[in-house]
Amino acid sequence: MSATNTHLSQYQKYNQRVSRNRATSEVAWVRYTLIAATLLFLSLFLFVPLATVFTEAFRKGAGTYFAALSDPDALSAIKLTLIAAVIAVPLNLVFGVAAAWAIAKFEFKGKSLLITLIDLPFAVSPVIAGLIYVLIFGMQGWFGEWLTDHDFKIIFAIPGIVLATIFVTFPFVARELIPLMQAQGKEEEEAALVLGASGWQMFWRVTLPNIKWGLLYGVILCNARAMGEFGAVSVVSGHIRGLTNTMPLHVEILYNEYNYAAAFAVASLLALLALLTLALKTYVEWQSAKDAIEIEQE
Amino acid sequence: MSIEIKNISKGFGNFSALKDVSLNVPTGELVALLGPSGCGKTTLLRIIAGLETPDNGSIHFHGEDATDRAVRERQVGFVFQHYALFRHMTVFENVAFGLRVRPKHTRPSEAEIKRRVHELLNLVQLDWLADRYPPQLSGGQRQRIALARALAVEPKVLLLDEPFGALDAKVRKDLRRWLRRLHDELHITSVFVTHDQEEALEVADTIVVMNQGRIEQIGSPQQVYDHPATPFVYQFLGNVNAFEGHVDQGVAKIAGLQVPLNYQHEARSGSISAFVRPYDIQVRKAYDDNGALAAKLTYAHSIGPIVRLELKREDNHEFLDAELSKADFDNLNIKEGDSVYLKLKNVRVFFGNNFVI
Amino acid sequence: MKRKASVLPGFKLSLGFAILYLSLVVLIPLSAAFLKTFTLTWAEFWQSVSAPRVVASYKLTFGASLIAAIINVVFGLLTAWVLTRYRFFGKKIIDAFVDFPFALPTAVAGISLSAIYSTNGWIGSLFEPVGIKVAYTPLGVVVALTFIGLPFVVRTVQPVLEDLSAEVEEAAASLGANRWQVFYKIIFPAIWPALITGFALAFARAIGEYGSVIFIAGNMPMVSEITPLIIITKLEQYDYAGATAVAVVMLVISFALLFLINALQWWSNRRLGHTAS
Repeated sequence: MSATNTHLSQYQKYNQRVSRNRATSEVAWVRYTLIAATLLFLSLFLFVPLATVFTEAFRKGAGTYFAALSDPDALSAIKLTLIAAVIAVPLNLVFGVAAAWAIAKFEFKGKSLLITLIDLPFAVSPVIAGLIYVLIFGMQGWFGEWLTDHDFKIIFAIPGIVLATIFVTFPFVARELIPLMQAQGKEEEEAALVLGASGWQMFWRVTLPNIKWGLLYGVILCNARAMGEFGAVSVVSGHIRGLTNTMPLHVEILYNEYNYAAAFAVASLLALLALLTLALKTYVEWQSAKDAIEIEQE
Repeated sequence: MSIEIKNISKGFGNFSALKDVSLNVPTGELVALLGPSGCGKTTLLRIIAGLETPDNGSIHFHGEDATDRAVRERQVGFVFQHYALFRHMTVFENVAFGLRVRPKHTRPSEAEIKRRVHELLNLVQLDWLADRYPPQLSGGQRQRIALARALAVEPKVLLLDEPFGALDAKVRKDLRRWLRRLHDELHITSVFVTHDQEEALEVADTIVVMNQGRIEQIGSPQQVYDHPATPFVYQFLGNVNAFEGHVDQGVAKIAGLQVPLNYQHEARSGSISAFVRPYDIQVRKAYDDNGALAAKLTYAHSIGPIVRLELKREDNHEFLDAELSKADFDNLNIKEGDSVYLKLKNVRVFFGNNFVI
Repeated sequence: MKRKASVLPGFKLSLGFAILYLSLVVLIPLSAAFLKTFTLTWAEFWQSVSAPRVVASYKLTFGASLIAAIINVVFGLLTAWVLTRYRFFGKKIIDAFVDFPFALPTAVAGISLSAIYSTNGWIGSLFEPVGIKVAYTPLGVVVALTFIGLPFVVRTVQPVLEDLSAEVEEAAASLGANRWQVFYKIIFPAIWPALITGFALAFARAIGEYGSVIFIAGNMPMVSEITPLIIITKLEQYDYAGATAVAVVMLVISFALLFLINALQWWSNRRLGHTAS
């Protein structure tokens, strides 16, 4: 799950060697059986679901498909999904860089506790992620009364959706950057300071270029989850059509109304987003592996 | 620019890296900080650079207190052990970095930067690599680029952390001669850290031998090699045979032999540690009435004109190393398994049994 | 005189911001869940978390998660093995596609899987004649949880398999071991910590999963209702304390799993003699 596949060239060498070497490979029929079993499993669980999304989406023709997408409620769901991602991703990006900087470049007490706490949102069910914000900002929550008095809505409104999205995408950037920056050490930053760079110059000219692929990788994953989150957002949204529905919630509503073609039409957009995410992610992995190979050629 | 280090102490947690270290580096000298790993030499270098702050003590550059001066204001050139080249910048941009990050009013023009960088790349004889990226360079080339980058800011002091540590033997030798020549040309006050005694002896004007956070001896290569101040220095610089013995009224008894002392220990008595270099052990075939140490030749191998012998003492079965010329060895006409008798020359005696290594 | 520990700038700023943000977004809201349960008496709490319908949901959630994680261990190991060891057409694309369940929004996975496995779907129609119903049964829950947990085992085992030195296998072969012996005496001992870590990650993810499951589960009380759905149902009935009580039970189990996973990784890194890569 890491962008920094520094073992790639080693792995390629190894791969060539093993596949050429009779002593360390299996006989042909075993090989083909294993490959076939893998392909069958992955087809059942990956490719068939993907294909289904698109065939179901176009089952009633392209006209229905585009009508479903241009429906005002669908458009407002798309807009809300984008808003949530545009707020959540940059915030978690800034957090990720700050946390990774402190953790990777400095020694302090409680560091491993901090790393564990950063991972917490991954261990929490999305439903619970939504629930905790309801407990705080909901009508009966800690700030419920105060919020009602000031006519400010968080739960069943956009701020709640943004908050829930921030929570579930919280660790992505940080957990990508921490091991990367730890591996890079701090010599290059020290070199920049000795050469007279200020703190910001050091950060923009040395640190940031060095972590760009890891950062991008984290952002891609963070964004995919932010746009696709269902459980947490579902709890805080209130499902008000045209107002507090994100794309995944819109899919659910259409599906529960037995409007399958429209549900799958909106779902197909999200599936395209997933494909785009995979493509970008693979590109970033490929780029950072290329850099790593260059570094290995000493 | 001269550097004065006064009573510096530095600890990391419970570990005390430097204990009350004081040192003067005169302007224009090339000084080696020599010692085993963990002796505090790199910490001392990083304190001079401003990359670490000392717990106690002060650093003065040219008489001015620089202890609290930030690293970017110290005007030091620092060459990192693993070079720390910026991997996403070309060689040219690496060298230009120190000029480009200057505040606008002191930053040279683009043309001036170009001129300066090429001048430095020519100095390190790598101008043809200007457009490459660090990962595409060999270790020796990276080393020289790191040096050019450090020199670009016209440092008053040049600091090098194990400058040749990551290179193979051949490149290492070439580069250290080259560094020596470069220093003779530029005359920048320079301090480098090394654990390799040969490197320190060959390159430095002054050697500072360090051990366990303290300075053991400061002196010219000749001084520290010929007149080691402590048992540690004796053992760290070159191969050595160690003996335990006893001194009584100016006469040392070592391994059953009476050894007259060249030093001024006459008045003292007590237990001693004695050291003899391998080439100061004389090997004889016959016993000699004046006393000799009986041993057995266990192994002999020759490298060019020198023959190295491994000898096993008859009295306590400890091993000794001796070195003699091929001609002497041939004259002796001995082979492995033969009994021989040893005489010790130039024995250096330290009171107390403070073996360090 | 107190001096700075490091010359690199920004320690207080970055750590301060990280802790503040972590507290505001994660720690304080999570503590709300625990504080809320304190408004219940112990008897009320126990009644909430041990009602028959809730207990049935635990059984389904944990049972289905366990089965799905075991399926993923078997096929995840197989996939990782095939991807690192063999060459075949389309390998790179398949490698990239392993992460598809991470990238696909869970709701999309849910409706797609239920379309496929319903009695008139592509695969569901194949099982129908045999009398096996997949969608809208606990079996459907297992299918959805297998889908969302699929990448975990592959992605934890794959790097370990790549790192295994060919020389060790060659040495074993030269000492007379056959292929199967090499696998269970040399390769398996090296990868099993990664297998267990992958299993734990897939299991932990499956327990909390909601989006992909509710479409395919049928959500029949006592039969195919998962615990996260119980929480939602209680919330919709404005039983905040009851919802929170069940949530706290899940949180405690999730945190225990997180702790276990961290300990496992720490232990296997130490055992293999390298730091986290």
